Amino acid sequence: MMGGILLLPIIVAVIYREIDTIPFFLIGASLAFILGSLLNHFLETKKEMELKHAVVMVAVGWLLAPVLASIPIWLSNATASYLHASFESLSGFTGTGLTVATDIDHLSHSINFLRHFLQFVGDGIGIIVVSLSILGKTKISSVLAFKGEAKELGIRPSIVRTSRIIIGIAITFLIVGTILFAAAGIKEGLNPGTAIFDGLNHSMTGYATGGFSTRSQNLLFYHSVWVEVAAIVTMIIGALNFNLHYAILGGKRKEILKNIEVRILFFSLLALGFLVSANLIFSNLYTSPDSLFRKGIFHVISGQTTTGFQTAPPQHFMLLWPVFSMIVISIAMILGGCANSTSGGIKMVRIGILFKSIVREVRQTLLPRSAVVRGTFHNIEDTPITDTMIKGAAVIAMGYIVLFTFGTMITVAHGYSVESSMFETSSALGNVGLSSGITSPSMPFVVEVTYMFLMWAGKLEIIAVLVLMGFIILGLRKGIKK
Amino acid sequence: MALRKFSILAFLKKNFDFITGVLGEIGLTVLIMGAALAICLLLVFVKSVI
Repeated sequence: MMGGILLLPIIVAVIYREIDTIPFFLIGASLAFILGSLLNHFLETKKEMELKHAVVMVAVGWLLAPVLASIPIWLSNATASYLHASFESLSGFTGTGLTVATDIDHLSHSINFLRHFLQFVGDGIGIIVVSLSILGKTKISSVLAFKGEAKELGIRPSIVRTSRIIIGIAITFLIVGTILFAAAGIKEGLNPGTAIFDGLNHSMTGYATGGFSTRSQNLLFYHSVWVEVAAIVTMIIGALNFNLHYAILGGKRKEILKNIEVRILFFSLLALGFLVSANLIFSNLYTSPDSLFRKGIFHVISGQTTTGFQTAPPQHFMLLWPVFSMIVISIAMILGGCANSTSGGIKMVRIGILFKSIVREVRQTLLPRSAVVRGTFHNIEDTPITDTMIKGAAVIAMGYIVLFTFGTMITVAHGYSVESSMFETSSALGNVGLSSGITSPSMPFVVEVTYMFLMWAGKLEIIAVLVLMGFIILGLRKGIKK
Repeated sequence: MALRKFSILAFLKKNFDFITGVLGEIGLTVLIMGAALAICLLLVFVKSVI
């Protein structure tokens, strides 16, 4: 699977006559094939997989895949070290978008395509989804692995059919996004070839809510409101639930207004956008409506959809932006987009469940003891809120808060300001990619490794990481007893 | 031959739900952008009054 992903950029290398990069992809793909075959040979068992095994497999797979994908990035000298290449690759796969590449503007087209393609495959669709749709495995292990990747979809009874529908939806919006970005690029004077290449790459990372760009200044490079509008369209669509896409594209258009996640996303984007814009205008940083929209609102949308497209230099966040705006955007990054979407963070449906459970508790307290208060929410169908749902949402939200505190403390300990540390930690943990300048080729080793851990844990929604740790501890205990 | 038989009307009819679905999702993003822009205009107005 990874071998196949690493072979695709060769087509781009041939189109742009970058023959010197082809060996890098071949080496990476060969190592992926060899490792895959070895793992298949030594780990194959006739026993049926349990949920814990599937979760551990996915957690380890999400570490191994970036390690392999980092090989061409490292060999092409796109980053200064192998650790940086691994960071770049993990940031790609998890759809984070924080970058430590040294000179993005002069990267070869094929390596740049690989960075963006990793986001589209890793975060936009999901490695397991791609594997299932290509290999066509419908065993129970596949279903469990699907769950481990934090995708619990009920689109179709067949998991393979579901996976193919997810890919179909992704390709539909990839085409729509490419047309929008390319048209905006041509309007701004780019030659059609460059506009289409940039458009394809930005559409991949926009839909995947990844945020990598073909330009070192990210979308600021274009200074174009049309490019920013194209970005907002792809970012919001990418942050919507796959089940919702399927319902809407299948004719249930009213679902778009009834859905709990869309409603919360809509109101939270506007509420947080209002807070940031008000703070920016009253601190006299941006005073015109268009600058408020293009700097304030844009970064709230980019943050909450967990994309990470940026229209302001990272140093502006660290040096110019008011602390309040930085904190609001950090909150947006932790909240995230819809469940079963390409976005990260705690997710809208969990926020909705937690909010409704608080309302339920208050009502229960106010009403007579004999009264039974039931809460429901509408997410494609009316669903009653159960205690298990509330517990699950609370555990994940708590996990995010613990890791957020941990990452912020580590960053602050390296001499960065509290607000920049909160901002960058939220960005790594929520798989966002907005940067206040901490993430760079010269960032401290410990901070870099911490952010790698946060990106990985955030992508797997923390539980998978805890299961893996529990699995390792249990294994060690058994080993010591023997 | 296949191209000659192609009718854009038939294509639109066959994929009506799909096309309106895509447009509906783009419409949602336009709605969010419009509401956000209205907030920006309101804030600039409030600032100018204050």
